[in-house]
Amino acid sequence: MKSSFAVSTPVITKPMLVLFAVLGTFPLWGTSVGLYNYLGVEIVVWIIYALGFNMLLGYTGLPSFGHGAYFGVGAYAYSLSYLNVFESVWAGILFGSIAGGVAAGLVACFLSHRRGIYFALMTIAFGQVFWFVSIKWHTLTGGEDGLLNVYRGTVSVVGADISLKSNETLFYFAFAILVAVTLLLWRIVHSPYGKALQAIRMSEMRAGFVGYNVWLMKWSVFTLSGIVAGLAGSIFAIAQESAYPDVMSLHASGFIVMMTLIGGGFVSFWGPVIGAIVFFVARDFLGSLTETWLLWYGLMFMGVMLFKPEGIAGAWQDFMKRRATPKPSKEPVAGE
Amino acid sequence: MDIILNLLPHLVNGLALGLLFALIALGFMLIVGVMELINLAHGSLFALGAYFAMSIIDPNLTYFGTFGEWYSGLSLTLRYVVALALAPALVAVVGMGLEICMRRTYGKKAEYGLLLTYGAALVIEETIRIVWGSAEQVMPIPDAVSGAFMAGGMIYSNYRFFAAGFGLLMIFVVWLFLEKTPYGATIKAGAHDSEMVRALGVNLTRLRLLVFGLGASLSAVAGIILTPIWGLRPHVGVDVVIPAFLIIVVGGIGSFWGAVIAGVMVGLVVAFSGAYVSEWSMMSMYLLLIAVITFRTRGLFGKKSSLEL
Repeated sequence: MKSSFAVSTPVITKPMLVLFAVLGTFPLWGTSVGLYNYLGVEIVVWIIYALGFNMLLGYTGLPSFGHGAYFGVGAYAYSLSYLNVFESVWAGILFGSIAGGVAAGLVACFLSHRRGIYFALMTIAFGQVFWFVSIKWHTLTGGEDGLLNVYRGTVSVVGADISLKSNETLFYFAFAILVAVTLLLWRIVHSPYGKALQAIRMSEMRAGFVGYNVWLMKWSVFTLSGIVAGLAGSIFAIAQESAYPDVMSLHASGFIVMMTLIGGGFVSFWGPVIGAIVFFVARDFLGSLTETWLLWYGLMFMGVMLFKPEGIAGAWQDFMKRRATPKPSKEPVAGE
Repeated sequence: MDIILNLLPHLVNGLALGLLFALIALGFMLIVGVMELINLAHGSLFALGAYFAMSIIDPNLTYFGTFGEWYSGLSLTLRYVVALALAPALVAVVGMGLEICMRRTYGKKAEYGLLLTYGAALVIEETIRIVWGSAEQVMPIPDAVSGAFMAGGMIYSNYRFFAAGFGLLMIFVVWLFLEKTPYGATIKAGAHDSEMVRALGVNLTRLRLLVFGLGASLSAVAGIILTPIWGLRPHVGVDVVIPAFLIIVVGGIGSFWGAVIAGVMVGLVVAFSGAYVSEWSMMSMYLLLIAVITFRTRGLFGKKSSLEL
């Protein structure tokens, strides 16, 4: 899959710089090509979410179909802390990330000795439980309306107070967090721990025989992706100035799976990034042409699953490989 | 004694609801048991069946001239029966189309098939929105099974009992088919050891196509029967596929009676929790699932399955 023989992986790579350069300058060029700053915020939030999710799906091979729960818990925790405890953005984000991690960690206790389809089914069940609680526990979550009036505050970064009122500053704020998350996850993926996660994906039994504590690995990666989802959820709550149950529904949880797979999370670290961008641009582009853009997105997803399950990143890798070797060689293709 | 009398109506309601849940899970069970494939489009096929039936019962036939007039003159009961036969057949065709797409994922990881059906569910739901609109619709039912009756101070709806009886009938028919006919034997053998069955000269490709068609038509039947109770909207599929799913896992993948018993259990749990903590009744089934799976990894009657890997 990835450059598996490199002794040490660079902390910053070329694709990373390209991504940061293109995305980081979004407010400068976005409006002139017909996009808008809020779209940039949304894309950044979902990229963070999808990168964390791909630790689970792409690297460890564990499909979670109820991940919206931890995103939603993060959003609620941010809003609750901001409204009731400290009126501080940093405290809210910290609180949201921890809440996402705690929720995922608790659920992972029930999940970590499950495999395959039973794992997937249990994630759905737990995801629905969280969604249900968020709708029914009016006193805490505000029911179906959710928590409102979580106005964007000011955030102090190295002594300077920055107001997040405008979408532009919020974008830069979210982007800075994205950079930090990307660097961190990249490092984790290329650490011995990350290699062990990939070993679990390839064969859980063999990874166990080699001596890894598979249960603990699965538990920790689920919790990690819950923390990242909670973080993304907190930023989402800032952007929306509210938290509501919709993001925890089965549909929203399905979207994150679709994004990650269309982009090519199974074969590339950057798959989820591509997938999230494609999803939102498709939503805006197709949405402006037809009201039923989901039909076309669903068809696109089916097409990807049928003809190129490795997604856009997989197609790109094939293309580069074909360019590098003009004659198709008969070497056996490595699994997955 | 009083307690028992108080509980009795909930017990009856729960049993009726449980049979309906089992009916919902039937088509899902067939596909998962035989083909080891989680069909997330099950709920959308359920909705599609109901929409087809609604259009057959109450069609817009201005273009069909004399045939249209003759058909509109038929009694509601007759049209209902026609719908009950015709709509599942149409859905079976859709299901078979889906199976043909699905062939590319055979032999790959189980998740690919599951994700493909998720995409299909999205596509079917959006198609329903385009054709029939997003608003909630009502399906007419024959007078013979509508109305209500009183018993022991409680009002029961006739249709619920008709539906539960129909569920029982379908369970029996599917059981007869699987256990007492040579087709059923082939299907079960194909699930057990597909290589051997193929070596014996059975056309497994066609068998799978038929099983998927059958599963799809069963979900359509469930849709037609349940729509008058649950209402009909394009996203009803999600409300349906989750309980179906849950019942299969609680009962154990690949077990016919497991699915039926789990269906009844879920019905009872929902009915009793509905009686005392009505706000939370739909959540009780998830708690049931979590409780069962925590103690019995493969559900109540599950066997080892390739889906675990």
